[in-house]
Amino acid sequence: MKYRLLLIIIGFTFSSCFKLDDNFFNSDNSIDEYKLDAYNGEQDFVLDNSFNISNNYINIFTLNSLAPSETSPTNIYALYIGDLNTINTDTVIMYCHGNKWHMDFYWQRAKLLAHTGGKNNYGVLMIDYRGYGLSDGKSSEASLYADIDAGLQWLKGKGLTNDRLIMYGFSMGTGPATQLTANPRSLTPSKLILEAPYASIEVMVQDASVLNLPGSFVTSLEIENAEEIKKVNQPLMWVHGTNDLFLNIETHGQVVYNNYNGIYKEAHKIQGADHGEIQIYMGYSNYLSKLNSFIKL
Amino acid sequence: MQKNQKTVDFHLGGPLIGFAGKTIPMPLTSLNYAQGITDKLTGFGSIHTTSLLFGVLQTDIGACYGLYYSDSLRIGLSVTPALNIATDLRENNFKVWPQLDVNLYWELKPQLSFIYVGIDNWFEFSGVKAHEETQENRWLYSPQIGFRYVRKKWNYNIESKYLVPYLNNTPNVVDYKGINGKGAIGIYLTLTRKF
Repeated sequence: MKYRLLLIIIGFTFSSCFKLDDNFFNSDNSIDEYKLDAYNGEQDFVLDNSFNISNNYINIFTLNSLAPSETSPTNIYALYIGDLNTINTDTVIMYCHGNKWHMDFYWQRAKLLAHTGGKNNYGVLMIDYRGYGLSDGKSSEASLYADIDAGLQWLKGKGLTNDRLIMYGFSMGTGPATQLTANPRSLTPSKLILEAPYASIEVMVQDASVLNLPGSFVTSLEIENAEEIKKVNQPLMWVHGTNDLFLNIETHGQVVYNNYNGIYKEAHKIQGADHGEIQIYMGYSNYLSKLNSFIKL
Repeated sequence: MQKNQKTVDFHLGGPLIGFAGKTIPMPLTSLNYAQGITDKLTGFGSIHTTSLLFGVLQTDIGACYGLYYSDSLRIGLSVTPALNIATDLRENNFKVWPQLDVNLYWELKPQLSFIYVGIDNWFEFSGVKAHEETQENRWLYSPQIGFRYVRKKWNYNIESKYLVPYLNNTPNVVDYKGINGKGAIGIYLTLTRKF
């Protein structure tokens, strides 16, 4: 009996493989195709027809994503809104979407971004992380960075240069957006926009437990936006709802903003807006105007 | 517990949370061993089995002391100081939280069942959180009420705790179920085998 109990304890201890990491990635890969405007699932907002994009400016394609530690690439899906032939002269927003489902859920947001400064004034690239939508594989912290960088490699191949790259992250997407601005790989973004960023996984854990609980007690993820932002020198625009019930504006966004020590920063605290409501509370026109002013700095 | 009496407890329960569209108690489990040191003092130690599954070795070590008991009223008062110690086996981060439970109990039937009300206190040593932010909540208290049904070999215990009822439960990545946006209601079951 004693030996059996000992074996159980040892088994528990060394099999301790359970982590809540997968809960961070709220992906849905059950779809057969991207529906975009025809998507009728839950969305935070739906734009009217005046925001429609002509079909020849909507490009869906695949990319090979390879993290530094990997030997074989993973096939992921990407969506580019704009003219593929003018990327070598256009300014492009790399949109890093949040942790929910797939690109159909974020299509309205990407489409809205494609109206910054006028319809198709800037190109917009969005990718589905591994395990999201039609992308193969399974997401991890390292793969988030690799997948966004795969998009940047593609843009670079099309002629995009550092000075015309704007990095935009929303929610979970603020992780790769901040990481790849602080530690550039294929391209160095010229500006960084963070919508509803989180400070770190550890802050999520501490908010949830109220105690000063180490993040490693719950997850092996780190994603330290509040630390990585210290390395960012490019101009920063921070947008966060004051009523964000998911990522606390004080414990997450404000900490990231405070830790930024670069050349320029601006904050937009949107009164009453919840996590996915920034655009609605700001008003589309006002939102686009603020973005464009920042991009044109 | 009486002197030299031994028990093994299995605990299950936690704060109510919204999960996949339903409200469920967080399924936290632990195993506890207790032994009567004197008729008034019981020592105990536990292992948090759910934490262990996540690679965290967590234990409570403490003692329960009967401060007062009225034979005529069958009412007693107990205090339970303990240390909650946790370390993760991957990065070796280490934490200790002192705890103090104070309970007033009333024996409904002598040696058969009792109800209790009390307050559970946790203390956070660290004044600094992640990214050098100030840890504002250093003393966390939670009122509780419970019922214990005592049998010859087994005890059955159900307890409800209102965790930190003075703190807002939003914004938060966990959907805690409290009252008027405050704290979280917890439900805990304990099965005790006596030896």
